[in-house]
Amino acid sequence: MRLSSRKWVVPFGLLIILVMAVAACNGQGDKPFRIGVMESLTGPGETYGNVALQAKQMAVDEINEAGGIDGRMIELVVEDSKCSAQDAITAYNKLTDVDGIKIILGTSCSGAMLGAAPLAEKDGVILFSGLATNPDIAEAGDYIFRTSMSDAQLGVDTGNLLWADGVRKLVTITEATDYAEGVRRTTVAQFEKRGGEVVGAERYASDVTDFRTQLTKLFGENPDALHISAQAEFAGGTIVKQARELGYDGPIYSEIVAVGKTALDIAGDAATGMKAVVADISPDNARGQEVLTNFQERYGEITLAWYLGSAYDDVYIAAECLKETGDDQDADGFRDCMYEVTWSGAIGENYSFDEKGEVVGLTNVVVQVLPAAERTVDNQGYNVLGSAPSE
Amino acid sequence: MATYPHGNSRLRALAAGLSGSWRMSRSNFELWANLLVIVAAAGFMLWRGTGFAISLGTFVAIWAILAVSLNLLVGYTGLLSVGHVGFFGIGAYTMAILTSNPAYEQLRTEALPIFAWPFFAVLPICMAMAGLVAIAIGVVFNRFRDDIFVLVSFGFAVIAFNVFLNWEGLTRGAFGIHQIARPAIGPWVFDDEVEFLLLVVFFLGLVVLACWFIVTSSFGRVLAAIREDEEAIAVFGYRVVHYKLAIWVISAMMAGLAGGLFASYTTFIDPNSFILLESILLVSIVIMGGLSSIWGSILGAMAFVLLEEGMRFVPFLPTEFIGQARQVVLGLLLVLLMLFRPQGLVGRYKL
Repeated sequence: MRLSSRKWVVPFGLLIILVMAVAACNGQGDKPFRIGVMESLTGPGETYGNVALQAKQMAVDEINEAGGIDGRMIELVVEDSKCSAQDAITAYNKLTDVDGIKIILGTSCSGAMLGAAPLAEKDGVILFSGLATNPDIAEAGDYIFRTSMSDAQLGVDTGNLLWADGVRKLVTITEATDYAEGVRRTTVAQFEKRGGEVVGAERYASDVTDFRTQLTKLFGENPDALHISAQAEFAGGTIVKQARELGYDGPIYSEIVAVGKTALDIAGDAATGMKAVVADISPDNARGQEVLTNFQERYGEITLAWYLGSAYDDVYIAAECLKETGDDQDADGFRDCMYEVTWSGAIGENYSFDEKGEVVGLTNVVVQVLPAAERTVDNQGYNVLGSAPSE
Repeated sequence: MATYPHGNSRLRALAAGLSGSWRMSRSNFELWANLLVIVAAAGFMLWRGTGFAISLGTFVAIWAILAVSLNLLVGYTGLLSVGHVGFFGIGAYTMAILTSNPAYEQLRTEALPIFAWPFFAVLPICMAMAGLVAIAIGVVFNRFRDDIFVLVSFGFAVIAFNVFLNWEGLTRGAFGIHQIARPAIGPWVFDDEVEFLLLVVFFLGLVVLACWFIVTSSFGRVLAAIREDEEAIAVFGYRVVHYKLAIWVISAMMAGLAGGLFASYTTFIDPNSFILLESILLVSIVIMGGLSSIWGSILGAMAFVLLEEGMRFVPFLPTEFIGQARQVVLGLLLVLLMLFRPQGLVGRYKL
């Protein structure tokens, strides 16, 4: 089908206008501190990315309203790194090369983090994440930091909890994603190290909604406990529900996803008594509760409380180090400051970073889900039992 | 599959496809308009940041290799495949597994064997692996045509993704593989971005030459004939099955090459890079650029990556919706393009 040349002029014109509009918008006022943000704003992981971005924006607005850092404002330059290494690389190059940014807060996905980290390490650019939990990130380099705890820590805590609760024969069901799989592996490694035995392990793809076959197979092994490691709340909740429907009455263990609001809504009373090892904002932490209240007011609902707190704290820690260096181009000074800093914020008190850029001083807690009737917005549906047991 | 409204003669259709738009006076305006857009966009990127432009250029070149190779199937032979990403992934994983030198053993229960071979030794293996898999499945796929072929290639893409995700002992599953080697000849390592871009462009050049050679040869004329009328060419005594298998394997090997380059460039891959959606994007690039046009596929890859990345510069988007708005605007532009130019940027046919 041949078309006349003239019709082509319309989209062509649109493009040119677009380019011109962009070029025109290159003005700059007084000099704020410019910080890059890379989050997965679209695609898989967009829930995490958007919550993190909202929390960061809230923190920046607070700091700016309070007069900025010694009178200088903070400006966020936001890029979508999706959940992929390729997009993280282009987003990273855009931020560092086009915007001249040396300090980047992000990313929300471990895959994106691992894609951009080698570049950041080579260029001497700070990459500081509040959400990426892949244990491999510990080895990513000097300029790479995170306030999110590695899956390895969560796994060790869960393994110890299982053993302490008298579980000897365990079955696991795991979503095939890096986070969920990381939790399972480290949990199983610790559990087996203590002397436990894994008698059954099933894995499901992210789009599966029926787990009965896999669960039936697992329960056929007569386990002491079921461990669920999910990436999506929907699946986490559904597994709990279907496990109880199949007549399983033993204990269920999991992590943060399966005790999220959506998951508990789906599972209903089936989830009652389930234990999970989670990174949680302690009810005693006044700063953390204040942040959650403000977030609720500003955006209407709270999801992924700990992660939003973590993203929020990242901005304040960055502000603290910018105050010290006084220069958003001084990544080396910022890095040195990061190794020195001790912070008390929304996710915990007096935490700092070790020589690998991993956060130390934060702990996971064990929580137990309440009966459906007793769940409220305030208690998030569970009781905090205390810190995870150690070896 | 494809309809070719003024191509009742095979030769004419072929000639039109091969010559691209260079010799067609009527479409000169369009060509120059397209060129202007691309040059303006590329110039803009360069002006805003050289490093960013170089990194985009590298991705453009990798996608162009994929698009050109897919065009051999979709445009020249009329086999609409959405499984190309599978071969891309096989190439990437071959590169990753054979070159990575992981120093992060702490988490692994199923150890990935460590080869740590050099890049240039592995690159041909990437192509060979993709080619071998293509032969194996091509023998079966050859029995299908048209819509059914689309479906089985869809199946292949899904299977490939699940293998990458679940064959943990080999691919590390969802964790992905990092520390993938950059190319090196002795002490000379291509870790500079410009050097890598030049290397990728060099391979793109080789792929384009190979494609040009294929489509201008008598072999290429048979492919065009298969596209136009498979029964007719079979009547003349050509073993259609052999030709289809050959081009399927060649195309897959080129995708494997692109995969190897991609893995080496990003130094980290996980199964998310090889989802079915990437295949759909690739088909869009081929259609957007123009079927049966090598130049069109390159232009399509450029336009697509530059449009998507250009969206990063749209200034009036509020921070909190920046990601979503970018996708919406991109989608809108693609719809507009297909509305006004269903035959693609420089193509002459529509699907």
